[in-house]
Order: sequence, then C-alpha cells, then structure tokens
Amino acid sequence: MIWRELILPVIVVLAALGIGAYVVAVLDRLIAGTLGMPQTGSAWQAPLARGAWLLTQTANATEAPDWRAWRLAPALYLALAATGLAVVPWSETLVATDLATSVVLWGSVEALATVVIFLHGWSANALFALIGAYRYVALGLSYILVSMFVLIGVALPAESLQFTQVVVSQAELWNVIRQPLGLPLLLIVGLGMTFWGPLNLADSADLAGGTASEVSGPPRLVWDLARAAMLVAFSGVAASAFLGGWLGPWLPGPLWLVLKMLAVLAMLLLLGRLLPRLPPERCVILMWVVLLPLAFVDLVWAGAAAL
Amino acid sequence: MELLTLLVILLLSLGAGLAVQWWPMRRQPLPSYPQRAPFLGGGLPDTHAWSRYHVRYYPMTLLLIAFEMEMMFMYPWAVVYVEKGMMAVMEMGMFLAILSVGIVYAWREGVFHWQ
Repeated sequence: MIWRELILPVIVVLAALGIGAYVVAVLDRLIAGTLGMPQTGSAWQAPLARGAWLLTQTANATEAPDWRAWRLAPALYLALAATGLAVVPWSETLVATDLATSVVLWGSVEALATVVIFLHGWSANALFALIGAYRYVALGLSYILVSMFVLIGVALPAESLQFTQVVVSQAELWNVIRQPLGLPLLLIVGLGMTFWGPLNLADSADLAGGTASEVSGPPRLVWDLARAAMLVAFSGVAASAFLGGWLGPWLPGPLWLVLKMLAVLAMLLLLGRLLPRLPPERCVILMWVVLLPLAFVDLVWAGAAAL
Repeated sequence: MELLTLLVILLLSLGAGLAVQWWPMRRQPLPSYPQRAPFLGGGLPDTHAWSRYHVRYYPMTLLLIAFEMEMMFMYPWAVVYVEKGMMAVMEMGMFLAILSVGIVYAWREGVFHWQ
C-alpha cells in the first residue's frame, strides 16, 4: 500500500526528473552535432563534466542581492518541475498525483513558473538580470492563455480535468490527430515555459545571460538542471495530453510514455536549435494576435469533434 | 494519499535544490567587493537596480486578467461540455466573442507594441 502509492511513485518521478535532465543535455548536444555546430568533447560526458565544474566552482555574487530569494528561486523552479511531472500518469495505476483536477494543477505550475523566473532575475539586484525578468513576464503572461485553451481542448472529449481520463479518452484516436492544432501550439508554450531556443527572452545572450547573468557555481547548476527538468515535465504532459500517454501495443505502458516523451523532447530541442530568437514585443504580438486566435480555433475544433 | 505523495515530491525536490547550493558553498568565502559589482557591459552601477521602472506592457497584463477570470469559468465548463451539448457551445461562444473584441480593441490601441 505505502510502497505502491507513496514510495514507488516518488522514486519514479524523481528518477525521471534527474535522468531526464541528463538526457535533455545529451540530446541537445547530439542535435547540435548533427546540425554541424562546433563541439568539444563527447556529448555523453560533456554535461557531467559541466555539472561537476559548476559544483566545484566558486560562486560569484552581486553587491546587495536579495539572498534568500536568490537561492530559493532555482530550487523552487526545480520543485515546480517535479510537481508538473507528478501529475503525469505512467500507466493506469502508476500515477503519483491522480487528482480530479490535475490539468488545473499543471496550469498553476505554468503560472507559478512565471513568478519564480521573475524572482530569479529580480533578486540578483543587477540591471541585465532584471531586464531579462521583465521580458520574461511579458512572454509568460502571453503564452499562458494559449496553453490553457489547448489543455481545455483535451479535457473536452475526456469530460474530465484528470490526466488519466484524458489519456483513456484517446484509446481510439490520439488527440494529436483529433485536434491537429493543439500539439504545435503546446510545443510553443513548452519552449516559452523553459525559455528555450526561439523564446529565450529571460536568459538570452544579448543580455549577457539575462536572469542567470550574475549566477555561477552551484546555484547556476541548480538553475540549468531545473530548466532541463521543466522541459522533461512539459514533455510528459504533452505526451499524455496529445500522444496517448501510456497507450500502445506490445510494450508496457511506462515504456511507451518514455518513448513519447523522448519524441517530444527531440522535437523541442530541434526547434530550439533551428529557429532564431524573437524580439520580445514581436513575441507578444505573435502570441496575442496569431496564436491565441489559433487556440480559439483549436478549442472550437475540439468541441465540434467531441459532440 | 495523492496529496501526500505530491507534498513529499515537492519537499524532496525543493530540499535537493537548496542542498546542492548550500553544501558546496558552506565553506566558500564571499568574493571581494570589486568582483561583486553587477555586470553592466563595462560601467559601474551608482544605484540599486530595484528603482522605479515603467513596465510598458502594463495594459497587456490588464487584458490578461479579463481572460484569467474567464478561465475560471472554463474549467468546470469543460467537464460538463459534452453533457450540455449545444447550450454549452453557445454560452462559451458568446463569452469568448465578447472577450475577443477586447483583443481587437487592444491591438488597435497598440497595447502589444510597447517601445
């Protein structure tokens, strides 16, 4: 009882988060290598070497940071990623948090991520970090509506806000086919949530690293780890909402979910490497004027298909 | 039990995040003050970064609040949608149509261009 409902799900979620973050780093390097970008060292060892280097590096500080908030923000972002992965069902019975409102819980993770990323940029008391934080809030407040409409769309055929029900409702046909606009829109949200690739407004190079510009050593390790972990949590949610989660023939359920998560991660990392970074105000126009109406269309489509 | 599992996951990951920062840094001395000057592309700061700052996209955040309230109605709506059928479609359709006028108006007023 305790083993099946408490200890096993906790181990599964935390292991998936840790291994997943490593896989994200390796995949990103492999994709960069395939695209012909210059690289040093083996893609498998480089993330570990960088992690060990950050762990032993002396951390720099700013003159008068908000110490508690500065140390808390990376840890909180990691905790949000873990909360997000906790609602993902690995099989019919293996779910860490199978709430009747788990879609709402994931929505709150997305909303709180904006707060935590802003806190990370604000607490350094440095100009570039603060600009990165303000930029991110503009992006975060724009993509959250797109994400919510798309997730409401998958809740319609399931008649439930529970991720297990959402997966069960895809037994005949996956949502990626039933609601073709949903997954592409959600992938854009995923890039936004982890400020990855084209939507990297918070930690971009033109701000000398943005919210992380003053962060080095172990806090930087936690921040980078949390970003990768959030990408893993997001891929779990996207795979459950659109790719049928644990459903699939021959193989056991959890393995199917892992394969689908890897597919979503590969897609996201490839997009992150291929697309150019957008300027913030163009990002906001794109989200409100193009993607939000498309999310409406997706909702109408999902509604018409569900009736 | 679900919420207990969630709490355990939350506390373990938060604790791990804090421990990875605290344990290697517990003996590290703070860097000297010249090194702790925030990076400003060569300049030195003469004030805190936390000064009053006009967030130009502020009207956009007000537009978001209108939609966030709408999301609150939308969660229970999604659960009963198939049961209520066309009635639910019409209700939410009208609501979204009114809010969409708000987006068009905000766009015309240049809320999304803030520089």
